[in-house]
Amino acid sequence: MLQLTDLYKSFHQPDGDIKVLDGVNFTLDEGRSAALLGESGSGKSTLLHLIAGLDRPDSGSIQLQQREMTQLTDSEWNEVRRSELSLVFQQYHLVPTLSVANNLQLQARLCQRLDEEFRDYLVERLGITRLLRRLPHQLSGGQQQRVAIARALLHRPGLVLADEPTGNLDEGSSDAVMQLLVDLVSQAGSSLLMVTHSPAMAAHLDAQWQLHNGQLTLIEEQ
Amino acid sequence: MVSKRLGWTLHTLLSHYRHHPLQTLFLLTGLITGVALWVAVQVINTHARSSYQQATQLLGAQASHWIRPAGDGGIELEQYIELRRAGFRQLFPVLEQQLTTSDRQPLNLIATDLLALPMDSVGAFNVTANWSELMQPPFQAWYPQSLAETLDLQPGEQLALASGIRLPAAVIQTQAQQGQRVFMDIGAAMTVLGRTRFSYLAVGGLTPVEQAALSSILPAQLQLVANQQSLDLSELTQSLHSNLTAMSLLSFAVGLFIVFNAVRFSLNARSTTLATLQELGVSVRLLSVAIAVETMILSIIGAAAGVTLGYLLGMQLLPAVANSMQNLYGAVIDHHLLLQPLTILKAWGITLAGLLFALGWPLWQRSQRALASQRSISDDWLQDGKARRMLALGALVLLALALLLYPNMDSVAEGFALLALLLFAAAWLLPVLLAAALAALQSLIPERAWRWRWALNDGWTQLPVLRTALMALLLALTANFGVDTLVGSFRSALENWLDQRIAADIYVNSEKLKVDSVLQSPLIIDHHQRNGVDLRWGLRPAQIYGLDTRAPDSLQLPLAMHNNALAAWYRNEAGVVLANEQVHHMTGIDPGDKITLTTAAGPRKFTVAGFFYDYGNPFYRFYLPYDIVATLWPDAGNRGLALWLERSAQAGGADISSSTSTAIEQKLLQAGAQPGEWVYRDDILQVSIEIFDRTFAITAAMGTLTLMVAGIALLASLLAIHQRRLPEYAHWRAIGVRRREWLLIILLPLAVCVLLTWLLSLPLGTLLAWLLIHDLNVLSFGWTMPMLVQPWPAVRLALLTAVVVATTLIITLLQVRYRLPATLKQLGGDG
Amino acid sequence: MRWLPLLLLLVAGAATADDVYDVLRRGDSGYAEVVPGKTLVFPADHLAHPTYRIEWWYLTANLTDERGQNWGLHWTLFRQALHADGKTEGWTSNQVWMAHAALTTPAGHRYEERFARGGIGQAGVALEEGRFSAWLDDWQLQGDSAEILPGSLHFSVDGTTVQLELDMQTPWVLQGDRGYSRKSAQGQASYYYSQPHIRVRGFIIEPAGEEITVSGDGWLDREWSSQPLADNQPGWDWFSLHLQDGSALMVYRLRHENKRDGERPNEGQHNHWLSGTWITADGHSRALSADEIELTALEYHRVERANDSALELPLRWSLALPAMGDGYRWTIEAMDPHHWLATAFPYWEGPVVAEGSNPGIGYLELTGYQ
Repeated sequence: MLQLTDLYKSFHQPDGDIKVLDGVNFTLDEGRSAALLGESGSGKSTLLHLIAGLDRPDSGSIQLQQREMTQLTDSEWNEVRRSELSLVFQQYHLVPTLSVANNLQLQARLCQRLDEEFRDYLVERLGITRLLRRLPHQLSGGQQQRVAIARALLHRPGLVLADEPTGNLDEGSSDAVMQLLVDLVSQAGSSLLMVTHSPAMAAHLDAQWQLHNGQLTLIEEQ
Repeated sequence: MVSKRLGWTLHTLLSHYRHHPLQTLFLLTGLITGVALWVAVQVINTHARSSYQQATQLLGAQASHWIRPAGDGGIELEQYIELRRAGFRQLFPVLEQQLTTSDRQPLNLIATDLLALPMDSVGAFNVTANWSELMQPPFQAWYPQSLAETLDLQPGEQLALASGIRLPAAVIQTQAQQGQRVFMDIGAAMTVLGRTRFSYLAVGGLTPVEQAALSSILPAQLQLVANQQSLDLSELTQSLHSNLTAMSLLSFAVGLFIVFNAVRFSLNARSTTLATLQELGVSVRLLSVAIAVETMILSIIGAAAGVTLGYLLGMQLLPAVANSMQNLYGAVIDHHLLLQPLTILKAWGITLAGLLFALGWPLWQRSQRALASQRSISDDWLQDGKARRMLALGALVLLALALLLYPNMDSVAEGFALLALLLFAAAWLLPVLLAAALAALQSLIPERAWRWRWALNDGWTQLPVLRTALMALLLALTANFGVDTLVGSFRSALENWLDQRIAADIYVNSEKLKVDSVLQSPLIIDHHQRNGVDLRWGLRPAQIYGLDTRAPDSLQLPLAMHNNALAAWYRNEAGVVLANEQVHHMTGIDPGDKITLTTAAGPRKFTVAGFFYDYGNPFYRFYLPYDIVATLWPDAGNRGLALWLERSAQAGGADISSSTSTAIEQKLLQAGAQPGEWVYRDDILQVSIEIFDRTFAITAAMGTLTLMVAGIALLASLLAIHQRRLPEYAHWRAIGVRRREWLLIILLPLAVCVLLTWLLSLPLGTLLAWLLIHDLNVLSFGWTMPMLVQPWPAVRLALLTAVVVATTLIITLLQVRYRLPATLKQLGGDG
Repeated sequence: MRWLPLLLLLVAGAATADDVYDVLRRGDSGYAEVVPGKTLVFPADHLAHPTYRIEWWYLTANLTDERGQNWGLHWTLFRQALHADGKTEGWTSNQVWMAHAALTTPAGHRYEERFARGGIGQAGVALEEGRFSAWLDDWQLQGDSAEILPGSLHFSVDGTTVQLELDMQTPWVLQGDRGYSRKSAQGQASYYYSQPHIRVRGFIIEPAGEEITVSGDGWLDREWSSQPLADNQPGWDWFSLHLQDGSALMVYRLRHENKRDGERPNEGQHNHWLSGTWITADGHSRALSADEIELTALEYHRVERANDSALELPLRWSLALPAMGDGYRWTIEAMDPHHWLATAFPYWEGPVVAEGSNPGIGYLELTGYQ
């Protein structure tokens, strides 16, 4: 599904270059989920951005479904993000002027893969049926994140990338949202790679990797 | 202690401008351009008014009186010399003549004898020039720089006139009170133009004793008249200056919209700062003082730069205004602009007032809010609905005021107040209308066209930010369309009128023409000899014309209104007069009313039989039958001879064949006319329209400048929107939104809003033009005309707006493209 | 002084001239030249000679009123040609006229200058209805016939009107060699004739209306030339005296600039061009050659000019004609030093008193002092 080989990435800073990724190797199989643990500033988000094509590695290979991604152009990456990937952020990034219904259908409509049955299922499972006509600012944080998750899964992407999806939620909602995310990802048939600093959240997933000093190591796998 | 705290508070507040250079740039741009346009017009107006004060001077010499011929024909050299030798050395001869260049450009000439000017006035002259070359063959013609540029004349070149005469070699040189005129030595001018008489003698500084002595020795055919030009000009030009001031105030208002805009964008960022300062213990009072100081500092910067720019702009616009004044009123305006301290002070005053309204007030309001609420400001667009309703409510109040004012309007100032009320009411209604239009469009678009719906939805995000800029755009477009319609209507009315009025083929105005000899020519099928005198009627100069009531152009005189007495006028009956429309509108006289004119035998009453159209004439004018004028005013002078020529069959009947024109010119020369003393119909029409276009050049310039200011407002708004929405765009990109989809979302609501604004400006501009034509024009100038709404100005404005929008869009797109990658990388981070 | 640059250009046709008197030094070809041997013919030569570059009619008079107070006047009409093209009539005339009038009253000095273009009748010298007439606007010197004298002079300065009858006692005096007056060794010369014995009577009407009867002696100079000054001649000092015994004396000195550094312009006798004429009471004249004249400036006086600057001018002189005898020795002094005329051509001109065994009064003119 996703294969990272010898990824290097450093950032230029006035006080010298910072090696964020120093030869990262990683594999995620179809339908599996993995958590990416690490301290603040360890480069977790950078790694996620590289996989999403939002940033480019200095060297190394990123293969998605056996396709080499590092040579793609911006617009090719855009098409990949449109149909094969999904991003879930800590900030929910809902379009404030669109209703909940339109927000959650947005990406599926963009890639023309709107499965109405699955939509209704997702809406029901996420418990947002009564919220469909509302605008994002009329929802709580947890509700907004549920809409964002629905939006990310509705088009059944191959890979879901999540960056601290529960970072803005309290502990109770975090657990609930996390569980829903894991369940629904697997029902959508997608793989999941999630960046988090919380071992508790990471425990929901199949494998846990640790990013430290630019090196990625597998801590645990079920 | 307090001052130190104030210093730090201020420092913190002002740091905003350092960190947001673009907002700073727009705030200052709006402020400075607005002030600059106002200052430019102020400077020009003050300058023009001071020029009128100097109308008691002529070419730098005192001219408190004039000696003019009672009739026409000018003043003989012998008459002048006789007066000089009688000791009246205050007299100097002047020749003023309107010339037509070979490419049909109107050109005014003024000439005098420098050696004859009163001694003490010579200091006003530019003495760097070579005077003997001016006076001695081959002579020189002195042009001010701007006039030379208009005529595309190089130093040393000899300007060719329509009459075939070439003026002496051009020298770029300006004299006091020369205005937009060519200056020559009077001897040179008389020689080159073949003139034998002066236009008039100017008289400088007469004591009462000298005046009495001069009057007593003046021959009967000459009259000593006091120079009332200062008064007359101030009176006549008042409306035009009010017009200019109104336009400049509109520009200032548009500029303030930009400032208001820029301040609003910065308010969110700055309210955090305000809250932090308050948390750190800065009192609300100290904060208010700091805001006041900030406003003051910006007002000083804005006023200083605005005044500088305005002065420079004024210098650019001055030739156009000077042209208008010269053409419309014969007012001479010099080229040296003076910046008066009062203008600077006023400029600073309005800047400060504007900033208090657009900057100080919103900031102060924000600082007064409870600390808690400052941290949780929800999106602008949520509050926008409330703001829209408030504005709409305000608009209704303005409209109500306008409706109250309209029936009671009787001065130009009130007229402009009405226009301002209407314009601002329309501007304040705009957001509500745009919102309604967006909502309506949304409901029209089917669910499956979800991209379009999304795009229209995005309008709600853009609207609050674009609102102010769109209001500014509406003002600018409306003013432009209104004024274009006014000018277009005027031009078309003038063309039609000229077509009727200037009906003869050739017009001759010659001192020495033997009319009877000319009329013997078989080429002439009809003619019209006119006479006339100039006198004062009411407060203004008036012109009396004697017409041949049987002449073709008299028979089809275009009348605005008339009564039964008209037939008596055509029967050459004494006691019946036709007056120009100005008399009706400015004095309220109706057909059938009696008026009193001062004849040679004293005051005499006349019945007004009707009013004829007389476009562009600042004077009152009365038409009487020729013989009546000759009887009542024995001094009445020749006012020219109009000739209708035979058209040969082979020339198609439309144009005069060249053989006919050659023959008639030959005939005129034989009868004593000089070359240049006749003019063909087409040339008059062409020159008249040329003068008209030059006169209204200033209006066009002001319109374009206002539109540019509105364009800047739009650019500022778009840049602000996109800068703030970059994270949003980055996220769209992250979920795979393509560039063209993004463009659709951004562009569609903008296009809808701008299109609607433009559409709205059409009826509004028409209303504005209607009021200008039917009310303000009558109040200002005293003439009416049919309104003509033409599509071309609307299309032109649409294109211009499209160019402005496209330019601002391209700039913002480039900016977004440049900054989006960096924003993408921050996605998910701190959001 | 505002006219200065204007006139400078008018008369010299060159913006570079620093010295307005350059017009008197220019030797442009095309103008008629002054040659010896020409016979002056009257009254024809009283009229203008427009083919010559410059010309003047110059009247001075020392007058006394009924209370014995001294008055003085000078009235001059200058003619200049801008070109040698001979056009004198109409708007294209090349002639320009300038007139000066100055009045010395018991209270002070008043003067005025006027200009007019030629060819249009505003100024000129011509026969009008058979009478000689020289005029500019309402200033006029008019003969009773084609002769200048007897005649009358009318002008006004600053509201004071002067109306005088002029009567001639003796024949015209031809200066130099029968009217050919040399001005330098290089050949500069002018035609020059005078009338030193003019009986003047008339009225001066003050602005307030007071009419003062005056009488006295007048002197009329007529001169025309195309180049009266040489390049090294900055100006002249000209004396005219009416002496007690009825005789008259004219002496002038054309100053030469080849003086030593640091010297006042007329210290010593650096070959200045000296010339003069002795005229007896009955009008017989005798030309005085340079070696017959001893002229020395005795005293310089500070004179205010118009533009707040001052000038040191020689206003006390000693003059002797030793060859004529012992009694021919005078000390000449300005009655009032403040007679500077800040006109386009600035100069000093005013009445003087000559003391000696045969005392007299007269006029002094100082030109070309900078």
